[in-house]
Amino acid sequence: MATDAPIPGGSSEILPTTTPIIPETPSEISASSNSLQPPPPSSCIHIPSYSRWFSWTEINECETRSLPEFFDSRSSSSKKNPRFYLYLRNSIIKQYRDEHPNRISFTDVRRTLVGDVVSIRRVFDFLDAWGLINYSGSASSAKPLKWDDKEAVASSETTSTVKESAKRICNGCKSVCSVACFASEKYELTLCARCYVRGNYRVGINSSEFKRVELSEESKTGWSEKETLLLLEAVMHYGDDWKKVATHVTGRTEKDCVAQFVKLPFGEQFAKDSDSEDALETFDQIKGSADPETEGKVKDGSSSPDNKRMKLTPLADASNPIMAQAAFLSALAGTKVAEAAARAAVTALSDVDHEADKNTGGDPNRQEINGNDSERAVAEAKSLVEKEEKEVDGAIREIVEVEMMKIRDRIVHFEKLDLEMERSRKQLEEMKNLLFTDQLNIYFHTRRSRKAEDRAEC
Amino acid sequence: MKASGSSGWKGPVKFRMPTAENLVPIRLDIQFEGQRYKDAFTWNPSDPDSEILVFARRTVKDLKLPQAFNTQISQSIQSQLADFRAYEGQDMYTGEKIIPIKLDLRVNHTLIKDQFLWDLNNFESDPEEFARTLCKDLGVEDPEVGPAVAFAIREQLYEIAVQSVTSARESRLSKKSRRGSDYGSASKAGLSMDLVKLFSFKSSVVRKRKDLDFYEPMVDMLTNEEVDALEGREERHAR
Repeated sequence: MATDAPIPGGSSEILPTTTPIIPETPSEISASSNSLQPPPPSSCIHIPSYSRWFSWTEINECETRSLPEFFDSRSSSSKKNPRFYLYLRNSIIKQYRDEHPNRISFTDVRRTLVGDVVSIRRVFDFLDAWGLINYSGSASSAKPLKWDDKEAVASSETTSTVKESAKRICNGCKSVCSVACFASEKYELTLCARCYVRGNYRVGINSSEFKRVELSEESKTGWSEKETLLLLEAVMHYGDDWKKVATHVTGRTEKDCVAQFVKLPFGEQFAKDSDSEDALETFDQIKGSADPETEGKVKDGSSSPDNKRMKLTPLADASNPIMAQAAFLSALAGTKVAEAAARAAVTALSDVDHEADKNTGGDPNRQEINGNDSERAVAEAKSLVEKEEKEVDGAIREIVEVEMMKIRDRIVHFEKLDLEMERSRKQLEEMKNLLFTDQLNIYFHTRRSRKAEDRAEC
Repeated sequence: MKASGSSGWKGPVKFRMPTAENLVPIRLDIQFEGQRYKDAFTWNPSDPDSEILVFARRTVKDLKLPQAFNTQISQSIQSQLADFRAYEGQDMYTGEKIIPIKLDLRVNHTLIKDQFLWDLNNFESDPEEFARTLCKDLGVEDPEVGPAVAFAIREQLYEIAVQSVTSARESRLSKKSRRGSDYGSASKAGLSMDLVKLFSFKSSVVRKRKDLDFYEPMVDMLTNEEVDALEGREERHAR
């Protein structure tokens, strides 16, 4: 969890809430690192950089870890779900931002949120700890510090503390301690060396409680030439091992060494391999032109063979300061890196030129390409449309077929009925005929029988 | 249709708030040295008791109350929680109870009057969600109204749950082997309604027109003078 805990004193970050008023932010800080709602009308709201993960619509891992009760799937009630947590968190932050720059208290929040107060308090404390609410900002200045400035601040702090300790007055003899003094944090005492040795302090304090604090006179005035020489020597020998460098340069802390090294004219050199020796050579050359006195000393201190001194990097002594810087930097970075950088720069430049050419004279080319693209798109669209049409046609055909089959069935059915009708009509006809013949027969019979009767009578 | 009434009988349930979250409504009303502190909120009884002191201290600090309130607040919360926990071991019968819940509260400048039916048997019900939706739908701007509504609902549910526990206890003492369904049916001073009657084949689910006015929510915004007048009246009643 140590990595999750917010480190106090982290650099602040600006959330641009009102765009016209924002001062120019340095390039390292991205303008909008999270999605914000329409900005409130008040001034800028700061949140610390370690809370950069915050987003209105998402839940970050650190929230899940710090407040597991909302994300535990087997929690006692189903209501303590992430949605509820989002509601609590977003309402609290919105409320704070409405109240900004006033701080909001837990009771204010608790009164306006629907939910049980203990959960609300936990979310509130979490947001407070991460600086998402009630954050006043440790750095009162609006701009976060650049790395160089930070270095300067850090170094100034160290030098100031060193200066402070230089101004220390011994509690025992009331004299200004200069060379070395002994400080006891436990009892807040400062003694000069003499008093410490003499035991000129309160009864009851052990001599082991004192720490030796080295003071150097030169901390006030700056680095002497001897020290600079030692520093360069040490850097050449030990490279990045600042501890060894600091021990080589007696009387200076690591920080001081680094700070001084950075401040050396024409920047620092990271002495690692033979490239550095070349670089040191150029340094010698350049410095030599500036300061002939120390050149001799530096040369004496450096272990490089004499013949290397004759090697001149191109443009090293050119009157153009920019070219000199560039040459120095390229030497500094090493041949391979410089080559790669140059190549990349050249390609980038040529691309830019190419773009410029294109923009001015290469229009037809571009249009052609564009035309090709659009044509392709059009063709694709056409084919899609055709496909759709075919499908629709097929569907219609099927429907028509089905309808036709229906009609055919009906016709067949009708024909059957027709046949039946015919048959029954025929039958009817037959029956009629039969009936007629029967009638005839009866009529004949009756006539015959009547005739027979008449003859019988006569 | 008659059989459905008895089929709804449930065995006695262990006492708890008939809502999705088992939260206790806590009401504080402390007077000390001329200062009066009134508050109402919901508390989760499964939280450790150490939270009570933390909450009391936080509240005292935020509201800048004298330190004496610290102990009084903690004690009040403790006793209400203890009451709740005392009920927790006992049984309650819920039956087929649909109860009307009435809201009649004033929060700062907003006055809310409402009445609606609540199913006591629905252990997944959520007064908080209801309060949130109510405020959103009625366009209530004051953010303090939501918690007050949720609290009012919870309080009424709590009372009724307590009543059902006591009635269960009484019945067990007086008459043995009595079916729980009788308690579930509409008898408790006419409070609960019978589902059967409500949803029989004759009637429809749509409310009768004469009832519409009863069940409509009403939100009123008060002016400053009205608020002062009401507050004065309330204080006089309290004393």
